[in-house]
Amino acid sequence: MRYISKTRLFASSMLVSVSVFGLAIAANAQEATFVVSAQNVGTPSYNPINGTQLNDAITLIFDRMVIQDADQTFHGQLATEWESTADGMSWTFKLREGVTFHDGEPFNAETIVWWIPQFAETENAFMTAAIESVEVIDDLTVRFVMANPDPNLLSNMSSGFMSIPSPKAFDALGDDFGVTAAVGSGPFKLESFTVGQETVLSANEDYAWASDLSKNQGAPHIKTLTFREISEDSTAFLELSTGGVDLLYSVPTDFLPRLEGEPSVQVGTMPGTGLFYIPINTTVEPFTDIKVREATAFAINQKEILDNLYGGVGSVANTFLIDSLLAANVDPTLRISYDPDRSKAVLEEAGWVMSSDGVREKDGTKLQVALWTQNGTEFKRVTEVVQAQLKAVGIGADITVFDSATINDQYRKGTDHQLAVRSYSWANADIIDWFFSGQRLGYPNVSMWNDPTAEEMNLAAMSGSHTWEERVANFTTYHEYVLSQYVFAPIYQPVQIYAYDKEAISVPEAIRGTRLQSQTVVDITVN
Amino acid sequence: MTAFAPIRTAIRSPRGGVSAAVLVLVVACALFAPLIAPYAYDIQNLPGANTEPGAAHWMGTDEFGRDLMSRIIYGARTSLSVAVTAISISVAAGLTLGAMAGYFGGWFDRAVTAVVDLTWSFPEILIALILIAIIGPGLESTMVAISIAYLAQFTRLTRAQIMALKNETYVEATTNLGAGHFHIIFRHLLPNALTPVIVAGMLATGDAIILEATLGFFGLGAQPPTPSWGAMMSSGTAQIFIAPWIIIFPGLAIAITVISINLFGDALIEALDIRNRLRSV
Amino acid sequence: MISFFIKRLLLLIPVFLAVSLVIFMIVHLVPGDPIDNLVQINSSPEQKAALAAKYGLDKPLYQQYAIWLGNALTGDLGDAIVLRRPVADLIAQNLPHSLSLGALALLFSTVVGITAGALAAIYKDSWIDRVTMTLILLGSTVPGFWLGLLLIMLFAVQLGWFPVSGARSWDALVLPVLTIGLGGVALVARVTRVAMMETARKDFVMMLHAKGVPPWRIELRHVLRHALLPVVTILSLRIGWILGGAVTVEFVFARPGLGSLLITSLNQRDYPVVQGALLMLAVAVMLGTLLGDIVQAAMDPRVRERIK
Repeated sequence: MRYISKTRLFASSMLVSVSVFGLAIAANAQEATFVVSAQNVGTPSYNPINGTQLNDAITLIFDRMVIQDADQTFHGQLATEWESTADGMSWTFKLREGVTFHDGEPFNAETIVWWIPQFAETENAFMTAAIESVEVIDDLTVRFVMANPDPNLLSNMSSGFMSIPSPKAFDALGDDFGVTAAVGSGPFKLESFTVGQETVLSANEDYAWASDLSKNQGAPHIKTLTFREISEDSTAFLELSTGGVDLLYSVPTDFLPRLEGEPSVQVGTMPGTGLFYIPINTTVEPFTDIKVREATAFAINQKEILDNLYGGVGSVANTFLIDSLLAANVDPTLRISYDPDRSKAVLEEAGWVMSSDGVREKDGTKLQVALWTQNGTEFKRVTEVVQAQLKAVGIGADITVFDSATINDQYRKGTDHQLAVRSYSWANADIIDWFFSGQRLGYPNVSMWNDPTAEEMNLAAMSGSHTWEERVANFTTYHEYVLSQYVFAPIYQPVQIYAYDKEAISVPEAIRGTRLQSQTVVDITVN
Repeated sequence: MTAFAPIRTAIRSPRGGVSAAVLVLVVACALFAPLIAPYAYDIQNLPGANTEPGAAHWMGTDEFGRDLMSRIIYGARTSLSVAVTAISISVAAGLTLGAMAGYFGGWFDRAVTAVVDLTWSFPEILIALILIAIIGPGLESTMVAISIAYLAQFTRLTRAQIMALKNETYVEATTNLGAGHFHIIFRHLLPNALTPVIVAGMLATGDAIILEATLGFFGLGAQPPTPSWGAMMSSGTAQIFIAPWIIIFPGLAIAITVISINLFGDALIEALDIRNRLRSV
Repeated sequence: MISFFIKRLLLLIPVFLAVSLVIFMIVHLVPGDPIDNLVQINSSPEQKAALAAKYGLDKPLYQQYAIWLGNALTGDLGDAIVLRRPVADLIAQNLPHSLSLGALALLFSTVVGITAGALAAIYKDSWIDRVTMTLILLGSTVPGFWLGLLLIMLFAVQLGWFPVSGARSWDALVLPVLTIGLGGVALVARVTRVAMMETARKDFVMMLHAKGVPPWRIELRHVLRHALLPVVTILSLRIGWILGGAVTVEFVFARPGLGSLLITSLNQRDYPVVQGALLMLAVAVMLGTLLGDIVQAAMDPRVRERIK
């Protein structure tokens, strides 16, 4: 590993060679290159309204009505204040004055009246489904008349999908919006976008409406910001360590020891929004027996996976929701945490006895099950450890690795699957509805779970809540019931790890927001 | 002259001898893996993950703390059997298809030639990736995909041999004696066309080992915890900074095996003096 | 010569039709649904049906094929479903990168391969022959992604001579070209070596020797020139390999290109892109073969005779 020490030495000569070939502008140019996370490689467009996959540059090109801080509190961006009536049927927003889009168009109440109906019939329609109509109170005040109360409204409005485009440009460009050009009111303008390769942004010098989360209330310090797309994590890491790029949006945990050894690299973490788990098909033998499901869930040693595969970075998962959600605070006795004795005991109770090859059997049938996983180092690694952990309590598992499109297709076609290692990324309790609702059997409800009690609880949680507190209480009850039925086994909650070249750029110590978004990026300076 | 005479000649040449010795060693690893390997290939020891090569583990351990040398020895089993099986299927199918095309000629020949020429020009890796997307992942489908990816090569080669042999007098004589088509193809033409195709098959086995490894890069092929050199390299790419030995040793195993196959193949070609018959273009 | 050319061109029409049908069928045999990659986690079956209708995925297969082929003949390869832009644009965006990488790698393989093959043939059975041929084998006996990573570690990280990845400057091309080029050297060198050895046994070469022409002149002017014919043939037939075979190298070096476009789109079941890219490769292959035939015919009248 001798090359580490030499890296620095040659980073400077790299810069020289680059500028010689006419790429770099003047040395004092405020330029930076960020690498999007590998899962965002190939993001097809910067159209927030019908895009289903967006990368982190979206929040730089566009502004949102409200944004979230790291503690999940809401702060105004294009909205300065807001209030809702007690029954949740009406929301009033005051809008910021003096905001203009990159094409010079003004932002005002008319923009919002135009904007909300754009979501109808799109892939993101559910975001605004509860809003019946938008009324103009005055030039800078709007009221949302609700079809039903939606305690989730602010959370939706803070997501990148509710970024506000320039109405004029959006209508003019049609399907090309976000593909050939994207016009918002954000701190950066889109200069060029080559899908799968790079996005070049330039500073919006007129920007004067940063939220109170940013120290810098004017135009961003970085004048030219390039987002590169690199699908191999190793390659992205080498680019950072040789000075080829300045910041990586995501770094695999196993690179941490190496990154900490690099004098110029600074690593930071943020709470994640993802969770790894094993859905259990409740309609297929032997998992029709709740005892076998219970045994499977308690056979997973979450701590071992956290410590050995992730070097202790991140946290164990003991429920179906990420820890930062209030509905994750369930009755402690319902949390699913490694207990091999309990696992073995319930298997004995259910009649599965150990045989000589270490796999249990019952009436001549082996406890040998199928364990699916998807392509990618992380998935395969977790799955291999899960396989060994199941074996330790006497459950034999055969792994099949699919690519992610095939695995979803398999779920839709057949119902004979058994176990799989999967993950989701979603920071809202309604993910329970998505994966366990009886309305979505097969896929995404791959647990094939259809239980009348659960359906009632689902209805209460999804559309019977008027206030945020009521919604949390309803989801907690629903979540607890799901846990008690062992329809899945929780594994791990990753954190977001970012890394940057501290000799090249300065990033604020505290990241304001749930991701590295506009509120923080405007404060980044080039050294 | 027996069938073994050219092999003996090949082994007597310096490169033939050395490469044959290496190949015997690799095959022995594959056959007697449980006897040779110092540890089991699938026993995890997570606290001992990514251990550097040393006295206890000559090639170090992988990201699950499994002994790398044992996995490479067992991996020889998977990698060789995938490559050999795939190429055997491919050679058998190529011989049949090529012989029929070459012998019957006409529209059948033209159709086969058109398809074969086109697929031959496509990179094997693309063909294999597309096929696996259709038939699904797994060791068997990997073998099928590899065998189809190389089918064009053997069909072309067989066809060229048959075309050259068809007009020779003894075939005409047999035809005049009223022998059936299949009798002529299988009893007279194929046996004479066999040697170059088999030697080409042997050389292609080396390419198939590399193709298996490349499919491993995309996470396809052997399903865990079964070791194959390709699958090991694929997980090693992510560990290249922390534990470079995980990717270096399987890579060396592949390089040494494939070079040996090539050198021995060359020696054999010279011993058989079939160099000019190996060309199909 | 002209009639030969036209005849060959006409022959390509049925081949093109057959190939386009095969490509279309193969792509639709792949299980999976592109619409899945297009919808949000919360969307309804109706929304998906509407999307399927928008992209014509609800029509019978034969109709889809007819529409696709008809449009393709006018240069319209349709719109990518997941990537949301014309397939032709995506190909146009990636093709130059594949071409420059492929052409330079080919040039490298050819120059190094022919030189090495010629050396090995001239010094047949000497240590020069053995060492050259064994060294050359090395490059083609390891997987490309492995070689690529090792080259990055050595030349980009350790020595800092070239960028690690990307396609933003010409020096970013060096390592990918080396990775692919080294893999192709062995093939070219072998063909050259054998062809030269065979040509050296030909009567006209014997005659030149008898006439007292210096041996080096014979080797370079006459033997090597004749030996190039099989090399050209092999290379013209491998054009698809040049354009689409760089897929692992493209991933490792984070470079755009047809191979990675095709595989990424295959994984997302973006049918129009997979179809379009495959069709493009197939057409390139057909034209490459044709070109190879023409070059062969120009170089060797006997080939012309045979094809007639």
